[in-house]
Amino acid sequence: MTTAGLHCEQLSRRVGDRLLLDGLSLSVAPGESLALLGPSGCGKTTTLRLLAGLDPVSGGRIRLDGEDVTHSPAGERQVAMVFQSYALYPHLSVLANLELGLEVRRVPAPERRRRIAEVLALLQLEGLERRRPAQLSGGQRQRVALARALLRQPRLMLLDEPMSNLDAQLRDQLRPELRALLHRAGHPVIHVTHDQQEAMGLADRIAVLEGGVLQQVGTPQELYHRPANLFVARFLGRPGINLLAGEAGVQLAIRPEQLRLVESGGLPARLLRREWQGSQQLLWLDTSRGELLLLAAADLTPGEQLQVTWKPDDELRFSSASGERLA
Amino acid sequence: MAILLLLPALALVAGVFLWPLLRYGWLSLQASSVLTGLVPVPNGGANWQRLLADGRFWQDAAQTLRFAGLSLALELLLGLALALLLHRPLPRRGLVRAVVLLPWALPTTVMALGWRWILNDPFGPLNGLLQSLGLPAYGFLSQPATTWLFTVLADVWKTTPFVALLLLAGLQAIPSELEEALRLEGAGPWQRLRRLTLPLLAPYLLLAALFRLAQALGVFDLIQVLTGSGPASSTESLALYAYLNAMRFLDFGYAATLMLGMFAVVLGLSALVLLAQALRRRLAEMAP
Repeated sequence: MTTAGLHCEQLSRRVGDRLLLDGLSLSVAPGESLALLGPSGCGKTTTLRLLAGLDPVSGGRIRLDGEDVTHSPAGERQVAMVFQSYALYPHLSVLANLELGLEVRRVPAPERRRRIAEVLALLQLEGLERRRPAQLSGGQRQRVALARALLRQPRLMLLDEPMSNLDAQLRDQLRPELRALLHRAGHPVIHVTHDQQEAMGLADRIAVLEGGVLQQVGTPQELYHRPANLFVARFLGRPGINLLAGEAGVQLAIRPEQLRLVESGGLPARLLRREWQGSQQLLWLDTSRGELLLLAAADLTPGEQLQVTWKPDDELRFSSASGERLA
Repeated sequence: MAILLLLPALALVAGVFLWPLLRYGWLSLQASSVLTGLVPVPNGGANWQRLLADGRFWQDAAQTLRFAGLSLALELLLGLALALLLHRPLPRRGLVRAVVLLPWALPTTVMALGWRWILNDPFGPLNGLLQSLGLPAYGFLSQPATTWLFTVLADVWKTTPFVALLLLAGLQAIPSELEEALRLEGAGPWQRLRRLTLPLLAPYLLLAALFRLAQALGVFDLIQVLTGSGPASSTESLALYAYLNAMRFLDFGYAATLMLGMFAVVLGLSALVLLAQALRRRLAEMAP
């Protein structure tokens, strides 16, 4: 077993009688990027704060490069974090924001200057050194926060909803840049998001959390095509997965893009409404097995009678009782 | 048109602030005392000449500044410490905050009477404490050299909670991630206070300083009840001297002159504090 990177075992956090995180075990290798994905209140930010040392652990262990840091103070873990709000010091210039941490750690002045110049060039922040955070755009603030985190020379990099304060267009533009940058830095990266597109775009693997319990970890492809349970199946994918009644005790599910319209021999369906999405239309169909969503290129009008079919192999089968996927 | 909308507010300011000021200005140029039968008679600036030569005015000015300076310094220091303490997660935080505010809620005269009893020689509790330790009783309120320190003590006791509350509001306006970010960078509590909390709290410290300075320079009720300006006028403030001239000596002309003199001192000091702040900000902007 390798010791490099992050390993956490049975990590728990309890506040009063509420269990915010229940026995989380995860490993992230150096250079690997893991997304913690889940709805609000699922325990993803709690996990980040435990790893950073900002909140005390109620149970379990955290090891970083082989060292047990479960109870180490936040400042001694060599863990960097980019906060959702970016948490730039508002009274300081960009330069002073980057320099403060180095000063606090008593890095000598010539080395401070060299390292700051390096990171300013890497993140294309030259020329903004004297600006205050309030005078920067959202994308620039994110880059300053990232620069500050990189200067920490972290053994683990944490990002809390790094894109949520940016507009959609900027997000699409920055995602590949951020991914390349994080991979190049070579430390384990964990980033928290509730946006599956961001998770798939930034991460090598995704861990889906719900109710403080880890549901599944895997590559985006694994999670999408072989979800461990109904929650993961429904949480991933836009438009959402279709649920169909199956035999007793079985819940069937099928992705909208795996449904096809046919001339004859399919399940009869009536078009309820549609949403135009450019190259495709999103259709809501009423069938004897329930309401179905599907994507089609054809131009159809509500009220039309259609027939829909799919390959039985594409069906996902879940236990109605536990929600676990059946083989 | 815009001026029409401002008119009611301007009228109010003129009525409660400008008019009394102008009236004082006019009165300070009159002889208006028992000698003139309380009828104002112009005396060609004689009041102002008297003020400049009045040793008691200058001594009271020095005593007032001494009182305000030490009170302000202690209140800011203790208020900051108390605010930092109250900002931490405490059990029953609401109750603790309410209790801390109690001294400030007490009327000054009541509070001053309480301190007069505590400091009583030889029967007060403080002298009781000294005596039980085998020390001689001390005349807290009868030593011209040290009595002013006990007027400061009473003022600090009463107004520190107010300063603490103001600074606590400032602390709560600082997002907690800023402190957490600095913690992750390896900064200890002292570094976080010096490099992050204090700079962000500066506007609140300035506000507290201005409030307290203006109030302390006009101190009247606390000293009137606690020491009655004594012993030997060693705790007399400018406000008390002006009151003495108006209400005891019935010399309204000179009392108005004293009031304006005091007003000039308060205004000058406040301007100085604001100027220092503007200068500090300008220097901070010029630094890289």
